[in-house]
Amino acid sequence: MTSQAAIKNAPFDIPSIDLPKPTDSITHYQVQQFLHLDAYLLDHHRLAEWLNILAPDLRYFVPVRQTRERADRDKEFSDTLGHMEDDFDSIAMRVHRLVNTKTAWSEDPASRVRRFVTNVTVWETDVEGEYEVLNYLMLTRNRFYQEDFQIFSAERHDRVRRVGETFELVRREVRMDQSVLGMPNLAIFL
Amino acid sequence: MLTKAKHTLPDGTRIEDLFNLDTREVSLSTMHDPDLYRIEMEKIFTKSWLLVGHESEIPKSGDYVVRDMAEDEVIVTRDRQGDIHVNLNVCPHRGMHVCTAEAGNTQVHKCIYHGWAFRPDGSFVGAPLEKEKMHGEIYPKEKLGLKKAKVELFHGLIFANWDAEAAPLEEQLGEMKFYYDIMFGKTEGGLEVMGPPQRLTIPANWKTAGEQAACDGFHTLTLHRSQFDIGNFGSDGEVTEEFIPIMTGINVADRGNALRCISAAQTFRMLIGKEKFEDLTVEDRLRKLPPPGIVTDQMKEEMFKRLSKDQLYVASMAPPQVGNMFPNINILFIYAPLPDGTLGSGLLMHAINPKGPDKFQWVTWFFAEKDTPDEVKKAMRSAAVQTGGTSGLIEQDDSDTWPHMTDAARGAMGMTETLKYQAIAGEKRPEGWPDKAKVFAGLSKDDAQWTWWLQYHKVMTK
Repeated sequence: MTSQAAIKNAPFDIPSIDLPKPTDSITHYQVQQFLHLDAYLLDHHRLAEWLNILAPDLRYFVPVRQTRERADRDKEFSDTLGHMEDDFDSIAMRVHRLVNTKTAWSEDPASRVRRFVTNVTVWETDVEGEYEVLNYLMLTRNRFYQEDFQIFSAERHDRVRRVGETFELVRREVRMDQSVLGMPNLAIFL
Repeated sequence: MLTKAKHTLPDGTRIEDLFNLDTREVSLSTMHDPDLYRIEMEKIFTKSWLLVGHESEIPKSGDYVVRDMAEDEVIVTRDRQGDIHVNLNVCPHRGMHVCTAEAGNTQVHKCIYHGWAFRPDGSFVGAPLEKEKMHGEIYPKEKLGLKKAKVELFHGLIFANWDAEAAPLEEQLGEMKFYYDIMFGKTEGGLEVMGPPQRLTIPANWKTAGEQAACDGFHTLTLHRSQFDIGNFGSDGEVTEEFIPIMTGINVADRGNALRCISAAQTFRMLIGKEKFEDLTVEDRLRKLPPPGIVTDQMKEEMFKRLSKDQLYVASMAPPQVGNMFPNINILFIYAPLPDGTLGSGLLMHAINPKGPDKFQWVTWFFAEKDTPDEVKKAMRSAAVQTGGTSGLIEQDDSDTWPHMTDAARGAMGMTETLKYQAIAGEKRPEGWPDKAKVFAGLSKDDAQWTWWLQYHKVMTK
């Protein structure tokens, strides 16, 4: 009747968990705060300020995803074609259009967007002060008179670099959970 | 002249009544009406050549992708002989989708429900328990294959048509083939895809995007204003509140197919500067301002060889850049100077796949010339992704507009409004321009778009 008596029965050998050990709790907390800052600035349309937390060598990629058989699961994400493929300069151009023109109609009136960022895991890398950051994104977008939400969920594979007391975003790869995007555009950042 | 129309809506409205051909108006109700949508499926989407992909997506024997022809899924396959087939992705046994993944490689497509199996050409291999005749003895095996569409390739683009009696694709393209050859047929290697297509859902009627693709040059001034405000497309002194140079050019149209040929002199001036474009020969113009991706000498020589004298003239004076293929294809071949003075070019095509009267799927393929050097391809790819498709700075404004039109068409009063195509330029062919299709030179007005609706009218009232 005790737990010691219970035995796990599985019809195959269970492999051990193969994941590297995450970083220390202080770094984890700092990175998490950085991701919250990122989401806050985007949710509150503070896009010009947001550019501060992007690295000059930023790579921003949202690969196209396909439904594949389990055996081909490593081919789900395109390594060439994305819904977005940007660097710092092109992101800055997108922001320029949104904040400095009165004609960016796809976001004027602006969408109401909320970014929920969870399941943060931080790993050290070979480069001192740079971390790989896995995190989940649940994003709700509401526009005009619509009562329903456009929902976007994804896993973000970020890389951040320590800069003084905070970080900058070096890479963001957004692996979306839909093969067909459920909104008419990505005029917003993920 | 009252003739009894073959197709009327349940309230007695005839298809013809949705148009005023004299005043060039179309009822806004067309952008929502579910009854009209059902007729469109029968008259247009089961009888037209529809784009399902490009042969570079399935290079090897057994490769397949699953695509849409309106609301029908099809399996696009390549067999051992290298031939391409387009088969309905519906098991003739009990209606299950035979492929549940959307891409892969196999010589046998086996339905996961009862195990009926099919070859890449759609023919029936058999059902499990062969001796027990689980497919019955009423129909021979030859009758139990997947439903097949007719297939035609056009410069590697795969087109399919459900109508066994359909005229060849060339007939659907009409005189516009002359221009499409310029876009798709310049090199020996031809085009290839740069990855699987982007797909997204837009809550709008398919015709909102369909009619716009047929040369709506006018919306550039207002809807895409931000492009000029941020300096894309060259904000030289000629851009004003009232005028943007690329609104002018030459619109060409035939059978609902239309293209906007935009002045190369304009692009040339923004990119290359003072040199007198007008003084250059056709060949020099094409060498100095080559079409997207035609960068090696070898490719240029191929282009000079493959295109006719008239086609080279068009490519050098005002290459076709934006337009459509009737009914549901949108083309965007970009020759746009970027703020840093380089040519931001890209080759995109969209399929507008209806998913009900109020919804369509927007599929975007990104192409490159196969023989373009990898570095240039990469630069073209990111420029194209940043311009068109899901996040493209131009097209994100379009996709946000179309749902409004569809919603507007639901209102009891909204549906009584009309879409108006009353800005008429009239046919005008500049000296030296080939006599191909209807030619509307000058400021882009409603002429070409109206021909799209006339084609729609013709097909729907047939």
